[in-house]
Amino acid sequence: MKKMSLAVMAVVLGWVVLVAADPNPAMLKKNPGPTAITAQPVVMHAQAAVPASPAAWSPQTGGGAQAAGTPTPARALVNRYCVGCHNERRPTPAGAPVMLDRLNIDDVSQDPAVWEKVVRKVRSGSMPPAGLPRPDAQTFQAWMENLEGGLDRLAAAKPNVGRPAPIHRLNRAEYTNAVRDLLAVQIDGRAMLPTDDSGYGFDNIGDVLSVSPGLLERYMLAATKISRQAIGDPTLKPGTTTYKTSPLLLQNDRLSEDLPFGSRGGMAIQHPFPLDAEYVIKVDLSRNLDGAQIRGVHDMEVRIDQVLVKQMTIDAGKAGMGSGKGLPEVRIPVTAGSHLVTITFVGAADQLVPRDARPSDPPPNSFAYQLNPIDAAVSSIQVIGPYDGKVPKETESRKRIFVCKPSSMKDEQACATRIMSGLARRAYRRSVTDADVQPLVKVYQAGREKGDFEKGIQRGVEALLVSPKFLFRIEQDPTSASAGAAYRLSDFALASRLSFFLWSSIPDDELLNVAEQGRLKNPTVLEQQVKRLLADSRASAFVSNFGGQWLYLRNLRTAAPNADLFFDFDDNLRVAFQRETEMFLQDQMQTDRSVLDLLTADYTFVNERLARHYDIPNVYGSHFRRVAYPDKRRAGLLGQGSVLTVTSYPNRTSPVVRGKWLLDNLLGFAPPPPPPNVPALRENGEGVVATTVRARLEQHRKNPVCSSCHSQMDPLGFALENFDAIGKWRTDDAEAKTAIDSSGTLPDGTKFNGPVEFRTALLGRSGDFVANLTEKLMTYGLGRGLDYYDRPVIRKIVRDAKMSDYRWSSLIMGIVSSKPFQMRMPSASGAAASSVAAVPVDSSMKGRAQ
Amino acid sequence: MGLITKKHLHRRTFLRGLGVSVALPLLDGMVPAFAAARTTAAARRFGAVYVPNGVEMRMWTPKTEGSGFGMSPILEPLAPFRDQTFVLSGLADKVAVPAPGEGIGDHARAASTWLTGVRVKKTEGPDIRAGVSLDQLAAQHLGKETQLASLELALDSVEVLGACDAGYSCAYANTISWRTPTTPLPMENNPRAVFERMFGASSSTDAATRQARLAEDRSILDFVTEEVKSLNRTLGGGDQGKLHEYLEAVRDVERRIQTAERQSTRELPVVEQPMGIPDTFHEHARLMYDLMALAYQTDLTRVGTFMIGKEVSGRSYPEIGVPDGHHACSHHQNDPAKLAKLAKINTYHMEHFAYFLEKLRNTPDGDGSLLDHSIFVYGSGISDGNIHFHLDLPMVVVGGGAGTLKGGQHLRYKNDTPLTNLYVALLDKLGLPMDQFGDSTGKLDYLTGI
Repeated sequence: MKKMSLAVMAVVLGWVVLVAADPNPAMLKKNPGPTAITAQPVVMHAQAAVPASPAAWSPQTGGGAQAAGTPTPARALVNRYCVGCHNERRPTPAGAPVMLDRLNIDDVSQDPAVWEKVVRKVRSGSMPPAGLPRPDAQTFQAWMENLEGGLDRLAAAKPNVGRPAPIHRLNRAEYTNAVRDLLAVQIDGRAMLPTDDSGYGFDNIGDVLSVSPGLLERYMLAATKISRQAIGDPTLKPGTTTYKTSPLLLQNDRLSEDLPFGSRGGMAIQHPFPLDAEYVIKVDLSRNLDGAQIRGVHDMEVRIDQVLVKQMTIDAGKAGMGSGKGLPEVRIPVTAGSHLVTITFVGAADQLVPRDARPSDPPPNSFAYQLNPIDAAVSSIQVIGPYDGKVPKETESRKRIFVCKPSSMKDEQACATRIMSGLARRAYRRSVTDADVQPLVKVYQAGREKGDFEKGIQRGVEALLVSPKFLFRIEQDPTSASAGAAYRLSDFALASRLSFFLWSSIPDDELLNVAEQGRLKNPTVLEQQVKRLLADSRASAFVSNFGGQWLYLRNLRTAAPNADLFFDFDDNLRVAFQRETEMFLQDQMQTDRSVLDLLTADYTFVNERLARHYDIPNVYGSHFRRVAYPDKRRAGLLGQGSVLTVTSYPNRTSPVVRGKWLLDNLLGFAPPPPPPNVPALRENGEGVVATTVRARLEQHRKNPVCSSCHSQMDPLGFALENFDAIGKWRTDDAEAKTAIDSSGTLPDGTKFNGPVEFRTALLGRSGDFVANLTEKLMTYGLGRGLDYYDRPVIRKIVRDAKMSDYRWSSLIMGIVSSKPFQMRMPSASGAAASSVAAVPVDSSMKGRAQ
Repeated sequence: MGLITKKHLHRRTFLRGLGVSVALPLLDGMVPAFAAARTTAAARRFGAVYVPNGVEMRMWTPKTEGSGFGMSPILEPLAPFRDQTFVLSGLADKVAVPAPGEGIGDHARAASTWLTGVRVKKTEGPDIRAGVSLDQLAAQHLGKETQLASLELALDSVEVLGACDAGYSCAYANTISWRTPTTPLPMENNPRAVFERMFGASSSTDAATRQARLAEDRSILDFVTEEVKSLNRTLGGGDQGKLHEYLEAVRDVERRIQTAERQSTRELPVVEQPMGIPDTFHEHARLMYDLMALAYQTDLTRVGTFMIGKEVSGRSYPEIGVPDGHHACSHHQNDPAKLAKLAKINTYHMEHFAYFLEKLRNTPDGDGSLLDHSIFVYGSGISDGNIHFHLDLPMVVVGGGAGTLKGGQHLRYKNDTPLTNLYVALLDKLGLPMDQFGDSTGKLDYLTGI
């Protein structure tokens, strides 16, 4: 602990000493000589030494400009503000030293990666470090523009468009959607496949998505299940699918649009029934965490596609309730296909009374509720079957697959070939050849020999789903590609990039057709297709996958606010948080707003539960509707419970986590992570006088190790302190019994007080916000991490989008039209594709494994 | 609640904890290799259980050493297994200690080095690199005869977003098991998925059905192999990496199917699949231990790893009076209240491990019990979580190792003795003698046989 602080002190000391000792004459002349260590910044006076007019910054060609004589203005500026720490003798930072004294600033082509880093650090305000001298605003702006201009020109002259993984596995969400779009089979991907690893904040990064034997087994298992279900395989054995509700889901009201009016609690599930058969639907009513008994007599209804199929009266007095024995169940015939199964209680009479006029129940997160369940509630539904199944007459899946029906044995082969060709074209996302179709037909034949025509087709579909041509997006270098020269993607590859970006799924027929005709590269056609894809319902995948990861919404599922402190947090609220932000993002995109509106929008979407949480009056029922905020304090994303909850601890808000989230995800200035042995904040109720988090953090920031980053993060988090750990508005700190202080300062010095002013201050950094969002979109869209050579592209997209008010369409079109999206670099080796053709696969593999 | 509660194994045992009924085959007659193994005196099963964030060492380390040592509060749940338990003090995960310039990221390093013993490459990109982990070495050997070479289990989802640990790919924090230096094995936290991995898609016990199913799997694998070959013909050499991985996976599954075919006449459990992920830590942990035990009992695998939590896990344990996050407790700053909470969590974890050991001890196997013939390692890559200390780690070894281990001892080794010296010793007892593993400097002594 002590050692650590000393080390940091040494670094600080070193800086000052070096400033004093720097031999640069400009430095010595202008610097009055900081010979003592003082807390005061070293003030530089002679700003005039650096030309303020951008005209004076025109780059000088040729290296060695810094050799003798007067340094260029850029060099002088770097010498003055940066070289004191970043020099050859005292390389800083320790891990990856930046030695700016050695670089040629007048020719950025020599070290573009370093200069991009400089731009980032300086633009973010984190360099030069707070408290040390910085150039005035005008000089600063001119310098940055000059530096960026040089980097942009360099990129324009010699573009590096990057190289996403040539073999890019579909991730779980993409696989799930692809199966839906290919076979009209809805699967629960989360149950079927393991979680994908993430990189750069997203789980669709080609280089990170790996393959293991375990994963292959899961793919095989999934392919078997999916193909049988798609075909309607009559030999399917009964299986159990279980749907659970959260124990924290309050079920004393109508819970969703899918449930009948006048109903209470229960659940609605969209279940895929594989066959025309009988199914058992079993309901578990044991309610609370330790499985205590329910009370009373309850009327329940089971409906399929809203049609009542069974009414039951449950008497909790009967033995066995809640113990897993003798669960209420019905056995009913259901036709194959996806059907809405709803199970609800018949509503209580007081439902006609508005929610806020009824006596309130103990919240489910509370101890009282655990002991005294108010009502019975559905904890899970099992669908078991099929029993006595028959091949279904017609389902959407069978329509997609059986595009022909053989009338006799001799037609079978031709029909199977036709079926497999059609499926393979969509699954492989390109036109197919005999070499693609014949192996599938071979599998079909083997299946046909063991069973009938349909069995053969089922086997063919099963094989298709584990083919590497389906599971991997393959972007193959054309034979004409030469090393180091970017080439344009094929229209088919572009179609896949587009559909995976906007739909997380395979292209549909129209997109494939346009690609096949070679028209997708036409900018007008491309724009039409982007608009069409964004307007399609499948674009909701973009909101849930991009938005869910960018804003950490996916973490909402595991958020567990402390029951003692937030006893009114129930699952209804959790679900509503998620829905609100998804609907908000969807609406922002569909109406093509400026992305800055994400910060300022004066409306949101709420249902009764959420409106109560936000103190918005006169909203009743489970239906989500658009409401305008009465005032500005909750405007935009930063007032939404989802974001505020995932950036809090279970027991309290964390200005640090919120501040870091804001820096990372909205402004793009990720602070470095903390060193070990950092004292955690003392929690209240641990033998200390309760204080505010703010006060405890101020204590924390007194430690110089902590201060350098926390002085950037914490103030941003303070701005949101009026929202508690589940996003409820508060004016007082309940534990410390003091008023909330939500004032702070942005890294660039802008002061604010409270969320409204904070939002205005953020808008002052709108360039950073848009650039960061563009980077995230680009990372997600390309499925690769970005590098220094992508920065000029980002800057161009942002510049162009500014003219369109930063509308969503302008950013997305900017990305889709960019070179990195439309082109790629060939493999560095430039290995000619045919050169390995003659080598047997085994030995070539062995060779490579060395 | 227990999977198997009677000393003698009934042929039909009801797994109430699982909601599963299993007809257990007789282990003795099950695998011919067993008979052979009995004479070779090598442990037949290996497992490793990882706990994150370090432990409260003052409550972990027994006060006395040698065979007369007294159980510490955290280790108390192991008391019934005392004579098959080694408590090992002084061992160090030195490759987790930051090298010059490596900086922060201790949590990711702790998990990724614990079983690999090598310095891992600090990267957030795809160029991850660790080493083959101890369990996977064991699996290469012990997995030859079983359908699954190994089983990797966890309780946490790997889906939590945000950074995993400073500058380290999430892969380092998400798993302790590495099949190759560049292939981390994903750890599964969904009991249902584990179950399907063990028993396949068809819940039928009928041998003919199973055999037909295996033949179908085989033909699909043949198809995939051909597809990969044809793709390789058109792709440049530099582009084949991922396909190579895929083909390797195909080969691995093929080997498994061959084993399964040889054993397809064996009576397999009649099973109702677990529903999904239980709501509480207690139920979830028990269910996963049930499955792990079941895998050993049915000889589906002989190697398993289990991560009780990911490093930096902030799970709270309100059921034992710890509503605070685990990670926050581990940065205790020597605050007695936090230390007490941390010790509670550590003890709670140990109780679940003891539950698992109890199951194995109650399963007869040859001339003894499953536990008699197994070696289990339990511990963490961090001792004091407050300062991310990687030395003097909390480590226990439990099991008879088929007569190669005689426990009941607390051994203290010279400070900074590499943890991997223990692994070299254990590999020896698993019938895999090696001179070196990771950063080992020798073979841990005093870990003797009878």
